[in-house]
Amino acid sequence: MFMQIDNLKVHYPVRGGFFNRVIDHVHAVDGISMEFEKGKAYGLVGESGCGKSTTGKSIIGLEKITSGKIIYEGEDVTNKRRDRKSAYNRDIQMIFQDSHSAMNPRKRVQDILAEPIRNFLSLSPQEERKRINELLAIVGMPEDAKLKYPHEFSGGQKQRLGIARAIATNPKVIIADEPVSALDLSVQAQVLNFMKDIQNEYGLTYLFISHDLGVVKHMCEHISIMYKGRFVETGNTKEIFENPQHIYTKRLLSAIPEVSPIGRIERKRERVNVETHYQKEHNLSFDEKGRVFDLVPVTETHFVAASPTIKEVI
Amino acid sequence: MVSVSNDKNSNIASSPPTGFQVIFREFIKDKLALVSLIGIILVTAYVFIMAYLFINVDEIMRVSLRDKYAAPGEKFLLGADQGGRDIFGQLVIGAKNSLEIAIGVTIITSIFGIIVGLICGYFGGWIDNIIMRIIDFFITIPSLMLIIVFVTIIPKYSQYDLVLIISLFAWPGIARLVRSKALSEGKRDYVNASKTLGTNDFIIIFREIMPNLSSILIVETTLNFAGNIGIETVLSYLGFGLPPSTPSLGTLVSYANNPLILQQYWWCWLPAALFILIMMLAINFVGQAFRRAADARQRLG
Repeated sequence: MFMQIDNLKVHYPVRGGFFNRVIDHVHAVDGISMEFEKGKAYGLVGESGCGKSTTGKSIIGLEKITSGKIIYEGEDVTNKRRDRKSAYNRDIQMIFQDSHSAMNPRKRVQDILAEPIRNFLSLSPQEERKRINELLAIVGMPEDAKLKYPHEFSGGQKQRLGIARAIATNPKVIIADEPVSALDLSVQAQVLNFMKDIQNEYGLTYLFISHDLGVVKHMCEHISIMYKGRFVETGNTKEIFENPQHIYTKRLLSAIPEVSPIGRIERKRERVNVETHYQKEHNLSFDEKGRVFDLVPVTETHFVAASPTIKEVI
Repeated sequence: MVSVSNDKNSNIASSPPTGFQVIFREFIKDKLALVSLIGIILVTAYVFIMAYLFINVDEIMRVSLRDKYAAPGEKFLLGADQGGRDIFGQLVIGAKNSLEIAIGVTIITSIFGIIVGLICGYFGGWIDNIIMRIIDFFITIPSLMLIIVFVTIIPKYSQYDLVLIISLFAWPGIARLVRSKALSEGKRDYVNASKTLGTNDFIIIFREIMPNLSSILIVETTLNFAGNIGIETVLSYLGFGLPPSTPSLGTLVSYANNPLILQQYWWCWLPAALFILIMMLAINFVGQAFRRAADARQRLG
């Protein structure tokens, strides 16, 4: 096992009352576990506000973890995440959703790309320059891009620069937080294919956070569906798409639009069916507080959240 | 030739103007600010050159009763006061003192205020809470009164003590403004990115966040500078500024307290009053041009 997340919880306190005391908690991430193997892509799908980004940010150390463990290469790194210069921080990098705001507008591209190199690798100025040229070549940008500022690039180019920065220190895991949702469709395909290429070339492990099932299906071998800070279903891409178990997953899958006009009416009928099914079985799939149940295995790799009472039915 | 000029134009159009280019264009559009800026530079240069190279303070402050209230003319360019001392010389030395104090206070308060503000805004949490309570404390106490008390208590004080005392009460305002800007800037994604790329907090604060706040810092510093000239003048006017033997703009203006001088010997107080008025206005015009340059919605150019 390369990397493991064990029962990760991120709770935010809600303050209020006369003395500004903690009166409640927001359960942004509420007990999720994942296992990562080297060179694979893992998808994290869910509606907005379900805690996908918080998960990514807490893994890389931008959010405090309330409880749970992160084990990386056999070592517990839960408390090392925030120590910026550790090997863990070098090996795990992030691609941000909005590449424009993720780059300092006052810095030239060469300084932006040099930032991780200067922090993590001790290279001489010549080697550093060579590495920057190399990175630009990897992401298919001309060398004169070095002297430009981020605002001089298009959205797709900026995202590729973001990727170049993320792979600058030869990381092993890349957390991609909705890397293409700010781009238009033609550029999305370009960036996604490019991400796949570098994954194959460098054996990267991706944690691919997205709300777009199509993108995740294209990119990932393993998908986890998240809802209200918990996993409702997790399994191989094939299992999730062909044999969805949880009503939330079914509902999500039925919402994928299809462009063909043939079979439009049947598809609509099915969507209505799924929706009524969802409303009817809501009580069976979520407990009385609306919390998602714990995961139970369906097959060896496929897990679904289910109440203890209907466990036998599956 | 035509193609070359076209190329140049398209180059300018493709990259939005940044930094000094924007400021330059703003001044070209706003003639008043341009004139003010040139005026300030010339006056400041003249005052410092004259004060340090050509004017002897002791000579100017020597009392000569024969020249009591001498009218402006050949011997004295702007006349003399009741001690027969040259008004023009006092004006130059006074302006030099006021400017020096204002520059000193502006530098000290800006550096301190910016550092404290950035640290509060970036770290937040309990650090921010503690420092903000200290700042609230400084803002609520009446500063002018306390400065006067300090000046009265310290037996022999110089220009430097005055700078330090004024600075003590002027930094919280800057710190507060910078904090509010740093709070929003520190939540931006590029700061998060820098964190994940292993950059330490102090480099993030001073190399990443501060350059992005530079426009607001320049504006604030300029406008504070105008205010700080005022503080020294007010203190001297009230008689608590520089020691009485040192010429000061405030002292010159305070001659107008005497009705006789106010009516008959206008040259004693009017030049200093006009100088303060024009200086403050000019600095404010320049500051406003900077402010417009910093905010794209207000730009003229």
